[in-house]
Amino acid sequence: MNDKGKELYDVIKGKINSMKEEDSLERQYWDFWKLGCFIKTRVHDLRNLYEDTSREFVEKYKEELIKMREQVLENLDYYVEKCINVMRKANNFKVHYARTNKEAHHIFMEELGDNKVVYKSKSNEAKDIGLIDFLKKNNILIKETDLGDVLVQLFDYKLPSFQVGPGAHFSIDDIVAKIKEMHGVELEPKPSAIVDYYRKTYRKELLNDVKVSLTSANAISAEDGTIVLGENEGNISLLTRATEKHIVVCGIQKIVPTVLDAVLVAKIQSRINNVPFNYINLISGPSSTSDIRGINVLGMYGAKEVIVILVDEWRTRAIKENLFYKDYLKCISCRTCNFVCTAARAFGNIFASKYGWGATAILTDYIHNGIEAAVKDGLFFCTNCENCYHWCPVSINIGEIMKSMKKEATKAGLCFPPLKEYQQKILKDKNPFK
Amino acid sequence: MTKLIYLGCLSQKNYEPTCKNAIKIIKFLDDGYKVLDDTPCCGSLAFNISSDEELKTHVQYVNNWFKENDITELVTICAGCYSYLTKYYKEFLGPDFNVEIKHLLQFIAEPRNLEKLDLQYSGEKLNINYHDACHLRNASKPIIEEPRIILKSIKNVNFNEMDYNKTNSICCGAGGGVYSIFKENSDFNAKVIFDNMKKGKVLLTACPFCYTALKRIKEENNIKKSIIKFEDFIANLMEGVDPIN
Repeated sequence: MNDKGKELYDVIKGKINSMKEEDSLERQYWDFWKLGCFIKTRVHDLRNLYEDTSREFVEKYKEELIKMREQVLENLDYYVEKCINVMRKANNFKVHYARTNKEAHHIFMEELGDNKVVYKSKSNEAKDIGLIDFLKKNNILIKETDLGDVLVQLFDYKLPSFQVGPGAHFSIDDIVAKIKEMHGVELEPKPSAIVDYYRKTYRKELLNDVKVSLTSANAISAEDGTIVLGENEGNISLLTRATEKHIVVCGIQKIVPTVLDAVLVAKIQSRINNVPFNYINLISGPSSTSDIRGINVLGMYGAKEVIVILVDEWRTRAIKENLFYKDYLKCISCRTCNFVCTAARAFGNIFASKYGWGATAILTDYIHNGIEAAVKDGLFFCTNCENCYHWCPVSINIGEIMKSMKKEATKAGLCFPPLKEYQQKILKDKNPFK
Repeated sequence: MTKLIYLGCLSQKNYEPTCKNAIKIIKFLDDGYKVLDDTPCCGSLAFNISSDEELKTHVQYVNNWFKENDITELVTICAGCYSYLTKYYKEFLGPDFNVEIKHLLQFIAEPRNLEKLDLQYSGEKLNINYHDACHLRNASKPIIEEPRIILKSIKNVNFNEMDYNKTNSICCGAGGGVYSIFKENSDFNAKVIFDNMKKGKVLLTACPFCYTALKRIKEENNIKKSIIKFEDFIANLMEGVDPIN
């Protein structure tokens, strides 16, 4: 019997028990999620909004999307170089290529200068590269703007939550009570009243006070360097316009060949999750005007500067060394794999890492922190049912990637004892039940 | 040239009557099939966690056993065995693996076999659902239409699709060896499968892993709907016994 495997098994069993406790935070999230994921999945099949279902829309473009993503990964160096050149020459972007996450952190700090506050959109990639943790350690105040993240910050909720709707598990009464506690304002317990409160208070701040804003990108076109950002709240519109400096942080895999490809990625993300992208921003430069004698001056009403930090870290290596998770680079971050995940339904936000929620967040933890971290995140919850693969718009077999991680965990002595015993009996006695 | 009935280790250990029923069906359709003692396990529970070297050694052992016993064809009643035998054995052994693999559902769904069985349900018209097990729907040669063909051929049986079916079916939570470490994975998922039956009264599954999880959840939650293994259902119809009782 392996002690480390047993120790980790006990840790995970402890997490499951805490999920069963009536008032635990795990339970609170799980109760919401287990219903939410089914409602969400069902929505895919409704024809109440468009002529086609979300699934049919994705199927229509799937082949084209996969071909495009594969083309990029096969020629990643070419597209990265092409994209950087055009962003610098044609778009007046300041572009940094960070070989490592650490390098990206330091570039960001330099760009920040004397500023001590960063307003951010959801920017999952900033979390993925550890930038948010780094900024907090350096006493930079992070101000969330996506309402879900604003609520997570308001509640000081530390557990991982689902990337697409991070605050969706807080009840209306809890939110109203928390706003009263934190801001001394009494609100009617209605979603519209809560939204109105933030519109009246926070919107002013976003329009007037933002000096540095941080977003990721849904995709960047290598053809013309256009950054595509989809959103429904309007926070990204404000953050990318009413700011002095807009900093974009994303992995190099976000590059796509053309601007139409970039828009397609955003549309797929929107339709597959039925999250309305009320706005799709296409940003091809800082704001500018040539209205005075035809002389181009940067920084009119919108952002004065647009900084792009493209991060490599593991990405080029995954392709060159043919690592088992290199297919993950095809991911367009739609997160639909979470809705249909058996383990996610069963275990809520204990099937997650500090990078967020579900199998892809566990893989991210593995890439940055190794196999033991992945096991603690709940790697062994995965049943390899491949529902994620069947739904994935770019056909990434995450189940196979999870399986490879399980094999590595077992090799490292981290497999949980009951399963390990079956394996030993099969390999030795040719029957697990003998 | 031996034609083998490959029962699978889980059914042999826990579901002896089901094994007998499966043997009865297969032998009725083709008396040339045999059950052999000490049939080795396909390795299903080890596949997700073992190294390629370990797995190769295991599949070679099983293949040698097939060769020693002159096995040229087999019918398995286990969804896991079907999935692993069709996918990984070919992958590891290539042309050295020469056994024709069939799942019981494929075997029954062959037109001449359906004709020979000529199944009917003798009670009031029965509304049934079929649960697509991951092992069958994800196999390299997926088994999706065969159970539907069989069920639609049975007189006095009304086949209903689940809300989530075929490649979108809900996993029972017991796959990939997870049931041995986290039974909790099935607590919610298996319950939702019953919720998805709509007007169906009986849920059929062709996977012993799914059956194990679904049966436990049915009993623990006092669910009134029946869960029956496919082969038990067919064998009962053959004998004119009501499968629901």
